[in-house]
Amino acid sequence: MPDALPPAERLLNLVIALVNTTGKMTKEQIRSSVAGYDHAPSTDAFERMFERDKETLRDLGVPVLTVTGAAHGDEQGYRVDVDAYALAPMELSAAQLGVLALAAEFWQDQTLRAEASRALTKLAVVGVRPAEPDVLGLAPRVHPAGPALGPLLDAAAVRQPVRFTYRAASTGEVRERTVEPWRLLASRGGWYLVGLDRDRGAPRVFRLSRIVGQVGHAADPGDYQVPEGADPRALLDSAQEAEARTAWLAIAPERAEALRARARPTAEPGPPAPEGWDLVAVPYTRASDLADEITAYTDAVLVLEPASLRESVLRRLRDAVAMADRLGANHG
Amino acid sequence: MAERTPERLVRLLGLVAFLDRHPGVPVEEVAAQFGVSPVQVLRDVDTLWMSGTPGYFPDDLIDFDADSLESGVLRLTQSRGMARALRLGTREAVALVAALRALDASIGDALDPAEREVLRSTLEVLTTATGEAAATVEVQLSVEGDPAVLAAARTALREGRRLHLRYVDAADRTTERDVDPWQLVTGDERSYLSAWCHASGGERLFRLDRILAAQVLDDAVTTSPAPDVQVTYRPAREHPTVRLSLDGRARWAAEQVPTESVVEDDEGFTMELRVATSAWLRALVLRLAPFLRDVEPPAAAADAGAAAARALAAYRELGVDASA
Repeated sequence: MPDALPPAERLLNLVIALVNTTGKMTKEQIRSSVAGYDHAPSTDAFERMFERDKETLRDLGVPVLTVTGAAHGDEQGYRVDVDAYALAPMELSAAQLGVLALAAEFWQDQTLRAEASRALTKLAVVGVRPAEPDVLGLAPRVHPAGPALGPLLDAAAVRQPVRFTYRAASTGEVRERTVEPWRLLASRGGWYLVGLDRDRGAPRVFRLSRIVGQVGHAADPGDYQVPEGADPRALLDSAQEAEARTAWLAIAPERAEALRARARPTAEPGPPAPEGWDLVAVPYTRASDLADEITAYTDAVLVLEPASLRESVLRRLRDAVAMADRLGANHG
Repeated sequence: MAERTPERLVRLLGLVAFLDRHPGVPVEEVAAQFGVSPVQVLRDVDTLWMSGTPGYFPDDLIDFDADSLESGVLRLTQSRGMARALRLGTREAVALVAALRALDASIGDALDPAEREVLRSTLEVLTTATGEAAATVEVQLSVEGDPAVLAAARTALREGRRLHLRYVDAADRTTERDVDPWQLVTGDERSYLSAWCHASGGERLFRLDRILAAQVLDDAVTTSPAPDVQVTYRPAREHPTVRLSLDGRARWAAEQVPTESVVEDDEGFTMELRVATSAWLRALVLRLAPFLRDVEPPAAAADAGAAAARALAAYRELGVDASA
C-alpha cells in the first residue's frame, strides 16, 4: 500500500465497501479493512477521520445509513442505501445539458457555484454533451451571498430552526435571533432569509449580509412546519415597499429618456403639466428606488403626484443641500 | 491548484457509471463529457484501477480492458456494484433548480418556443428527481427593459445579426449606434447587453433598461466575445478615485457599489471608489447625503448641493412648498 491515500481515494474505497457490504460494516471493520484508514495513528484520529468522511459523503448525496442490530450488544454498523443512492431514471439531451451548464454559471456565490458544478458532473453521466456551450446567448449572474447561505439552505431543507447574531439595518442594534427558515431569496443585489422570528412570533425578513458570525442550530430537524399560506416573496416585497402605483412627473424637454421609456398610457388625464414641461406617467412599485432615481435628475424631473413620492424627493434634496453646507463649513 | 476532494470523488464515481452505460468511449470524449483534460481522465483511471472492495485482490477491483486503453479507449469490465448514477445532494439540486426557475420567470417569454420547451422540460426532470427541498431558494432576476428591446436582442443573438440601438447613458445623453450583440447578462440587480460597439470600437455593457429602442439589422455580426467577456460593470484604472466617509447607517452602500477599499473607524467607515462619470458620482452623493461625513474631492459635495438647490427652486416656481 502507498503511504497515506489521498482523501478522494479513501472516500471512494469507503463508498464501494459500504455499497457492497452484506448487512453492515462496523467501525472496526472499516478501520482494519478499507484502504486509506489503516494509517490512522490512533483510535481518536480514526474516529475523527471517519466522522468527517461520513458527513462529506452525506453532503454529496451518498445515503450512509447507521444500522443497529436487533440483538442486545450488537455493534452499530454502516452501509449505503443503494436504492436511495441512485439518481431517478433520466436521460438528458444535449440541449438540456446545455441549459444546465448555463444554470451552473448562474452563481457568483462560491458555495452555490461549487454545488452547481458538481451537480453538472453527476448529470453528465446521464446526458449527451452539448456541442456549443452558450446555447441561448444568456449569461445570468447573481451576487454572492456570503458564508451564511450554505448553513441556512441546509436548515431550510430539513426544517431546522437556526440561531444567529443580526445587526438591524435602521438602528444598528446587534441581537441574537432564533428563526424558522422558510425560504432564501435573491433580489435586487441582496440575499434575504424569510422566516418566522421565534422571539417575536411573527414572520420577518433578514438580509444575509447583516448576519454576524456563524449560523447555529436552535433545535432538531423537522421542528416546525412552513405555514400553508406562507408567502415569502410577498413578505420580501412588502419589506422592500413594493406596491404598484403611478407617478406623474414633469420632465424637462429632451431629458430623462430612461424614465420616458418606462412611461405608460393611463386612463386618467393626470394633473396639469406646467408650461414648458412634458407630463409623463411612470408606473412603479418601490417608492424609495424611484425617489432615488428622480433625485439624481435634480431639476430635470419634478414629481407632481403622488404627494408622498414628492415629499420623499424633496427630503432627499433638502438633505443634499444641508450636506453641502455641512461639509463646506468643514472645509471652509 | 489542487482539485477539491468532493469534486474528484464525484467525478470518479461518475466515470464508472458513465462507462458502464457507454461501453468503449475514447479518452478525449470522456474528458469532454466531464469537462476535464484527457490527462486527468487517465489519472482517474489509474485511481479507479486501484480501488474496490476490501481485500483489494485483483477480483475485488474496478477494472478496465487493457487492450482498449492501449488504443486510447476506455472499456469498463468490472464496476464493483458502482454502475448507478449518484443522485443530487440537496444543495446541488437547489443550485440548479433555483437558477432554471429564475431564468424561466425572467426571460422565458423572450425565448423561442423550442428553447422554452427545453428549459421547462429540464426543470421538470430535475424537480421530479429532487422533490420539494429545491423550493427553498428563489431568485428574482431583474430584467427591467422594454419587452420589445429584449425580444429584438434575443432575435439578433439567435440569428447572429447586428443591432441598431438608441441608448441613454448615466449622464442622460442619448446616442445611436450599431452593435454586435454578444450576450444577455441577466442579473439579480440589473440586466445588461454585452456587445461590441462599432461606434466606439470597443466592448460595452449596455444597461437593458436604458436601451430606448433596438432594431435588428440585416448585417451579420463580425465580432465574437472574448473568452473573458466583461459581465459585471467594473470601472477602469484610468477613472479618478473618490473617497467618501460615511456613518455606519450607510454600510449597505459599500455592498452595492464596486469599491477599491473600505476602512472602518469609530464613527463609520471610509470607502474609495473609481468613478467613470461625474453624473454617476452626483447621483451617489445625492443618495448618501444624510450619511456623508466627508468627500474627497470636496467639489463633489458642492456640485450635488448646488444641483439639489436648483431642483428645490424649480419646485418653488411650481408653487410647491419645498421647506421641511
